[in-house]
Amino acid sequence: MQTAATHIGGVVPALGEVPVFAPGDRVTIATRSPIGHYRVPTYLRGKLGTVEEVIPTMAVDNEEEAYGRNAGSKGHYYRIAIPMTEIWSDYVGSPNDGLRIEIFENWLERI
Amino acid sequence: MGSELLVKKLPNDIGGESAGKIERVEHELLPWEKRCHALADVLDFHKIINTEEKRRGVEALGSEMVGKLTYYERWIAAFANILFQKGILTPGELAVKMEEVERRWLASQQSAS
Amino acid sequence: MTDHGHDHDHDHPHEAITADERPGYYEIMETAVRELLVERKLFGADEIRRQIEVLDSRTPTLGAKVVARAWMDPAYKERLLENGRTACEELGITFYDDTQLIVLENTADVHNLIVCTLCSCYPRPVLGLPPDWYKLKPYRARAVHEPRAVLEEFGTHIPDDVEIRVSDSTAVIRYLVLPLRPAGTEALSEDELADLVTRDAMIGVIPVSYEKEAA
Repeated sequence: MQTAATHIGGVVPALGEVPVFAPGDRVTIATRSPIGHYRVPTYLRGKLGTVEEVIPTMAVDNEEEAYGRNAGSKGHYYRIAIPMTEIWSDYVGSPNDGLRIEIFENWLERI
Repeated sequence: MGSELLVKKLPNDIGGESAGKIERVEHELLPWEKRCHALADVLDFHKIINTEEKRRGVEALGSEMVGKLTYYERWIAAFANILFQKGILTPGELAVKMEEVERRWLASQQSAS
Repeated sequence: MTDHGHDHDHDHPHEAITADERPGYYEIMETAVRELLVERKLFGADEIRRQIEVLDSRTPTLGAKVVARAWMDPAYKERLLENGRTACEELGITFYDDTQLIVLENTADVHNLIVCTLCSCYPRPVLGLPPDWYKLKPYRARAVHEPRAVLEEFGTHIPDDVEIRVSDSTAVIRYLVLPLRPAGTEALSEDELADLVTRDAMIGVIPVSYEKEAA
């Protein structure tokens, strides 16, 4: 982990290299309805969650990868925590129960 | 309104849908199923058909086939379609080869008896 | 007549359709696709044979060894929770694909469960192939909606003061549950601990149980 003492100045990261979101950020999952292929289930569209973890290695957007585009769309996936009660109005269980899911950066909007 | 949902919601997107009891079924893979799984891994390794392309290919079979074909049957049907789309094989080539494979098996039965 | 039973340990490949029964439509398709691609040199027949061996070597026994090591060695457990894949690789469990592994630790306060609602993502390099029920609709549809009812169906009761976390795999991460070590196992060896750990405990649907054998 970089601290102020070890961080060397003057380094310009490439576009998209620095994660947009950080753990603790409140995010919404987009509500768009793509056809053909997607990896964000409909049961989570529009739900609010919290970024639990940035998946450290950049990876291709799997929705693009599904069409054979193995490069050119690298970004960050984020592990998002969403309470069950946020997802389901009829949830039966503890109010602390939650879901975790990896979501690509282009599905997330900061609240 | 009903047909939109068929297009907007993929047949595999079932999180939260009502479903019955979980039957604790499992089966030892048939040899061809294991070969099919190995084929998927080798295709992904070579990026001939990556894993995500396979998933999309299975989805593209549509809800009726997804409902009626078994797990590995969906994979091999999807692979065939994707290989056609990529121009690696043609439907005719595969059909001819499938006939040859079947003829070979029949011939092996005759010579064995 | 060839006698081709399936209990043989063999070095000949399972590429030939067994002579016992007529191959079905999809088996013929699989054979034809494979042969055409090998003929066109997109990959070698040996690669398929090898990958079958790779798959055969991946069973829940591997995951059980990872769990037992984590129970016995706190430093290993820390590495495992930090990076599941590299910790598995430390034990010689190679990952033959691009997936990463997050190991989810069950505690007194949190019980983890894994599912793939969209398909069948599963930590295959360390657990082998998933059971059919994991890939079928009832589990996939219900695990994210009513995890407690699903667990009850497996005979697992989680008290309300324990948080249930369901991880839905969708991308490059795979999950493995690190179950709670059962009470009374302090005197067991690492191998004996590993023997207690089942596949279903590493999916999160049942706990690891231990009953001391009567003397």
